[in-house]
Amino acid sequence: MTTTEAGSTGRKPAQIVDMSWDPITRIIGNLGIYTKIDFANREVVECHSTSSLFRGYSVFMKGKDPRDAGFITSRICGICGDNHTTCSDYAQQMAYGVKPPRLAEHIVNLGEAAEYMFDHTIFQDNLVFVDFCEAMVKATNPGVLARAERTDAPRGDVHGYRTIADIMKAFNPFEGEVYKEALKVSRVTREMFCLMEGRHVHPSTLYPGGVGTMPQPNTFTDYLSRLMRVIDFVKKAVAMNDDVFDFFYEALPGYEEVGKRRIMLGCWGAWQNPDVVDYRYETMNEWGKAMYVTPGIVVDGKLVTNNLVDINLGLRIMLGSSFYEDWVNEDPFVTHDPLGNPVDMRHPWNQTTLPVPQKRDFGNNYSWVMSPRWYHQQSGEHLALDTGGGPLARLWTTALSGLVDTPYVKATGSSVRISLPKGESLPETTLEWRIPKWSNTLERDRARPYFVAYAAAMALQFLEESMGLIRAGDTKVFEPFEVPDEAIGCGFHEAVRGVLSHHLVIKDKKIANYHPYPPTPWNASPRDIYGTPGPYEDAVQGQPIFEENGPDDFKGVDIMRTVRSFDPCLPCGVHMYMGKGKTLTTLHSPTYGADHG
Amino acid sequence: MGSIRVGRPMAKPDGTAHVSGLRQGNKAHGQQTGHHGDGTADARRATGIRSKRHDALLDVMPNISPG
Repeated sequence: MTTTEAGSTGRKPAQIVDMSWDPITRIIGNLGIYTKIDFANREVVECHSTSSLFRGYSVFMKGKDPRDAGFITSRICGICGDNHTTCSDYAQQMAYGVKPPRLAEHIVNLGEAAEYMFDHTIFQDNLVFVDFCEAMVKATNPGVLARAERTDAPRGDVHGYRTIADIMKAFNPFEGEVYKEALKVSRVTREMFCLMEGRHVHPSTLYPGGVGTMPQPNTFTDYLSRLMRVIDFVKKAVAMNDDVFDFFYEALPGYEEVGKRRIMLGCWGAWQNPDVVDYRYETMNEWGKAMYVTPGIVVDGKLVTNNLVDINLGLRIMLGSSFYEDWVNEDPFVTHDPLGNPVDMRHPWNQTTLPVPQKRDFGNNYSWVMSPRWYHQQSGEHLALDTGGGPLARLWTTALSGLVDTPYVKATGSSVRISLPKGESLPETTLEWRIPKWSNTLERDRARPYFVAYAAAMALQFLEESMGLIRAGDTKVFEPFEVPDEAIGCGFHEAVRGVLSHHLVIKDKKIANYHPYPPTPWNASPRDIYGTPGPYEDAVQGQPIFEENGPDDFKGVDIMRTVRSFDPCLPCGVHMYMGKGKTLTTLHSPTYGADHG
Repeated sequence: MGSIRVGRPMAKPDGTAHVSGLRQGNKAHGQQTGHHGDGTADARRATGIRSKRHDALLDVMPNISPG
């Protein structure tokens, strides 16, 4: 099993209490966390993560025009829908054999950069920080708050708060300064997104083969002026996060054990390099490594691979605790990839979704989420990779690969250096994210503002290159293509909260099979056929409890911090819910042509 | 849908995406004012009215779409 090993000695007789949170709030979707907590030893003994939502995208995509895939799959999510459109377009571009013009790639990259900045900011500052704010810490660890009031903030010259408690007050929901400022910033970053992709969150101007965005100079200058308005906020956010998370390690010795799991991280890469990418499967390793966030798999702190072909072929969708029938007796769609490598029956290209609704039973099947795993050939293990909430895995694989070397971002082999220009109030700043010792709750949260800085820095480069193309009159943003009778494609991208892949099989110019695999199926997966728990379960199981409250007024803040550190987002976790057979209203939406009745 | 009993579909997912008689945006590419064969474009693409008067005044000036 690839579980994190627990080890503690000198235990007291267990005093086990069942504690469950279903649904968990401040995240999207129906995630339930069911735990058994040993209050005598202040530890979580057992954890099950479950989703009660089935959606069936892979079922109803069949038979549709593949060109619609980007628009349909965007609706998987109401927060990172554009990541799905982008990833779907990547998969389609491989299937159609079309490469968008350079300016189109830059426009997509700029849109995605704005999305990362928007989503990470709103999630971190408005949702995660509620668990670290003054009101919450007062209710769960009053001793820690008293200490925070006496502790000076080491980076106060950057963010302007004198003590750690002052920062925590600024995190208070609805009234804290950081909370309110973050809402403004997320509006501005959303505007930046809309300049590039037309509409948030379901883009109207992204298509396979290019974009429909009008590339005029002010498209880019409007983006730049907004970016420069938020750049100081990003610098302050990094400093504040570092101060608060360093303080937690100091005030609560042993807090590094909270949400800690064996380092097993996956990142599928983000932002194509327009000069290298050609969307051919045969050259996927080369253009994958040229991406501005390097794809890769990190196990026990070491880079296992950063070849997208290896990553693709190692994907396995397991059952074990999910409400589905196995598809091993169905016909495979793809037996070999375009390079001649065999493709496993458990690979998304060959998956068939066969739902079997049933009662939840933690001893048997208990979730609509399947269990995606990555097959590690050397050890023969099916690894339950997590995404570290997105940023942790992205920064880790990029740092270890040491391939990204751009004017604003440089991967050094052990860190990622990010340079941000002078803003309205703060000078030019170089931030450095260093590979941490642990993959735990605080490090997942800490990586998030660093990745916002990373996205801001990359956006500056994309803007400069785009403006160069505009000045040269190279404003082509679309390349025509024909839909082939038969083709396969795969797209690899990073949704805001981690790995995203779309696998597409076309037959008779229609979709024969389509499987999106977003980050949350990886993170929220239940126990697979080998009994290996999913990352949430693994991270929560065995974690110590630092909350001072007893079983009667227990809030579970340490558990919630762990689960929220993964940036959970369940609508993409399972791909129709109608309560008790209620009939939905049938609506007619008028469109051209008699066929569309 | 596995063994789940489902009703008749109400949608035709493979209905045609294009209705004949409607202009397809990409078809006109290259014929429009201001768009060149190599994919580049100049200021004249911003308008179809007296488009020649929308070129840059001097050769040293960039001839790009006004924004």
